[in-house]
Amino acid sequence: MSEGTTAVRDRTVGDALRQAQQAFAGDVGGALFSALGVVGLIILVVLAFQNPGQFFQILIYGLTDGALYALVALGYTMVYGIIELINFAHGDIFTLGSFVALPLLAAFGVDEGQAFGVQIVIALVITYLLVMIIIGMVNVTIERIAYRPLRNAPRLAPLITAIGMSFVVEGLMYIWRGPSTLHFPDLLPETGWIVNTVRIGVKDIYVLVLAIILVTALTLFINRSKLGKAMRATAQDRDAAQLMGIDINRTIAATFFIGAVLAGAGGMTWGLYFNNVNFALGFNAGLIAFTAAVLGGIGNIQGAALGGLLIGIIAAYSDAYWSPLWTPVVVFGILILILVFRPTGLLGMRVPEK
Amino acid sequence: MVRARGLVVLTLAVFVAAACGGSTGGGSAKGTIKIGVDLPESGAAASSGLPTLHGVEFAVKTINDAGGLEGFKFEVSNFDDAVNGAYNEQKGVQNVQQMIGDSKVLGMIGPFNSAVAKAEIPVAAAAHFVMISPSNTNPCLTKDLPTCSYHPQDLRGGNPNNYFRVVTTDDFQGPAMADYAYKNLNIKTIAVLSDSTVFGKGIADAFQVRFQTLGGTFKRLDYPGETQNDFKSFLTSFKNFGAQGLYVGGTDDKKACVARSQMKSIGFDVPYLGGDGIETAQCIDDAGSNNLNINATSAGADATQVAGAKTILDAYKKAFSGPHDLGGYTIQAYDAATALMQAIGRAAKDNGGNLPSREQVRVAMAATKGFVGAIGTYNFDANGDNDLKIVSVYTTESVDDPATSTGVCATKAPKICFVWKQQFNFATS
Repeated sequence: MSEGTTAVRDRTVGDALRQAQQAFAGDVGGALFSALGVVGLIILVVLAFQNPGQFFQILIYGLTDGALYALVALGYTMVYGIIELINFAHGDIFTLGSFVALPLLAAFGVDEGQAFGVQIVIALVITYLLVMIIIGMVNVTIERIAYRPLRNAPRLAPLITAIGMSFVVEGLMYIWRGPSTLHFPDLLPETGWIVNTVRIGVKDIYVLVLAIILVTALTLFINRSKLGKAMRATAQDRDAAQLMGIDINRTIAATFFIGAVLAGAGGMTWGLYFNNVNFALGFNAGLIAFTAAVLGGIGNIQGAALGGLLIGIIAAYSDAYWSPLWTPVVVFGILILILVFRPTGLLGMRVPEK
Repeated sequence: MVRARGLVVLTLAVFVAAACGGSTGGGSAKGTIKIGVDLPESGAAASSGLPTLHGVEFAVKTINDAGGLEGFKFEVSNFDDAVNGAYNEQKGVQNVQQMIGDSKVLGMIGPFNSAVAKAEIPVAAAAHFVMISPSNTNPCLTKDLPTCSYHPQDLRGGNPNNYFRVVTTDDFQGPAMADYAYKNLNIKTIAVLSDSTVFGKGIADAFQVRFQTLGGTFKRLDYPGETQNDFKSFLTSFKNFGAQGLYVGGTDDKKACVARSQMKSIGFDVPYLGGDGIETAQCIDDAGSNNLNINATSAGADATQVAGAKTILDAYKKAFSGPHDLGGYTIQAYDAATALMQAIGRAAKDNGGNLPSREQVRVAMAATKGFVGAIGTYNFDANGDNDLKIVSVYTTESVDDPATSTGVCATKAPKICFVWKQQFNFATS
């Protein structure tokens, strides 16, 4: 969403890769990550040859986890891009999406064990739309009451407010549904296809396709629509945008709305995929999504999507080939390494300093 | 002036009313003795803690209805040690300190979790305050094993032993399931998982050592507890290892049974085994559509295996008739509470019929010989262990009438219950 150049243009995959290539040249950070990347790739190739079936199976799981993290990471990156706030409450908004979906699905009378058919499809589509709108409105409200008053305060203030808001949202979910893990109905069909011992399920494809659709819709919106242009302008230079007649308050509110739409959809999809949610889910999942956003390049939409996929894949391989106990160390180790050596992230886009 | 005097009168009236209206059982000849209870009673842990609490309440009710002991009646002073849905050591310690501060509390039932016991024993030992747990299975609390990272005598800090338990320990629970897996289920290659907690690692270690001794092979991984969301990656590596079963050392509040729900979709359809941490309604619910063939051990005998237990169990079900009032440790809690109250009664008798001190209660408790409980006859050794070494194995099945089940039943899929399968008695083997 933020541009290094002043030209506002379409971003293609080719551009992104070229950018990545340029970003890797030269500095220490780039050298370090190139080295790590190469070592990692060699290890993975060796493992792939040892047991290709397992290797590609883990890849599938990693991609689906990554797609879910990407949906959440996009909200972090968009909000950071436009007002330079790390919205710690975003992971909890994501969880709230799954919580809100539960009674809505129950209202349609769908339950697991039912054959997948028109009734479930209608229930899912309508619930998705309702969840996205509700969570969008919740996030807009949070922005209005917690962050807008602090828009001109020193940057630490909204950050601490965001942490506080995160606990408020978690607390509300705790009071609403209690501390236990909630079972989310298993509505998606269990069928799958086996390709050379690798099992790809309908659920896996569903998550990937949904994420692709949402990210594509977001990119088109940002690049083609007037509001999207306003968002990019506000991210680039808030005062200049205001001088051009852009309504800053409305633009920022729209950013929060859209980020929450993605997070809400992500939360409901998480529930459908994993079939269990819990009030504290957003705390950890949010941290991982934030790491993904930073890895890809905070403020950069393609970066968030790429970062999400990468973190998902890295975590899955760490779980399978090393130990699930070390996976959090790996993931958050990446966060630290990025911040120390390459704070602009892989795709190297910087938010213009104000 | 007038207002202040009115306030003083009102306050005095309130104090008098509180002092009179205190006990639940109505006035009794010599007063009421309180028994403390410290269990995890909220959130995911409630499915373990609440049925256990009811066991204590039923024991108190039974003794009060019979007229009390030595002229004293009993009352439960209940504390919850769960924070955010999981047992919390610091909260448990605070609860114990509160109990110790209340001079009417002469002993406590609990805690449920071994990690909490490790934190509470030092505090209680210093006050010579009796603790009797219905469910702690970590052996290190009473036995000085080479695999333990601490010594039980260090927990007691030079004070005489104040800690007792009515169940056997994980150094038998783990091996019992290893025997069941290897001999009954014919599993020769197994995956072992732990939730990285004190309990989980301990019981998983005990399981795998025994399994290997029997001649089996295993692959072991640990996961970081409740922050783990996607289990499929390492479940796949277990599947590719050729595991014919999966043993999980963990509790349901650390998502031990969420792993089970993800096994079917990856084509890893093998028996699921575990300790008492998964013998809960929450586990069956978490397992979703994959809730059959979950095997769990429980430290203690099943009510169907002990003469006379059925009578007590039926009386309990009449008094507590809710569908989830019976838990894996309800009857153990009944025995623990009865043992404590009997010890208090003996201490009172030895004290000339007067209210005994905590130390006197402790001495009486330690001297317990041949106490006949619902599911066993108990003698406590110098460390607080009893000499029963019985582990029961249960498997989830679809049952016709959950009300008659002696095992725990699910909340959401009510016809799925843990059904008793077999008993292992390590005292004789």
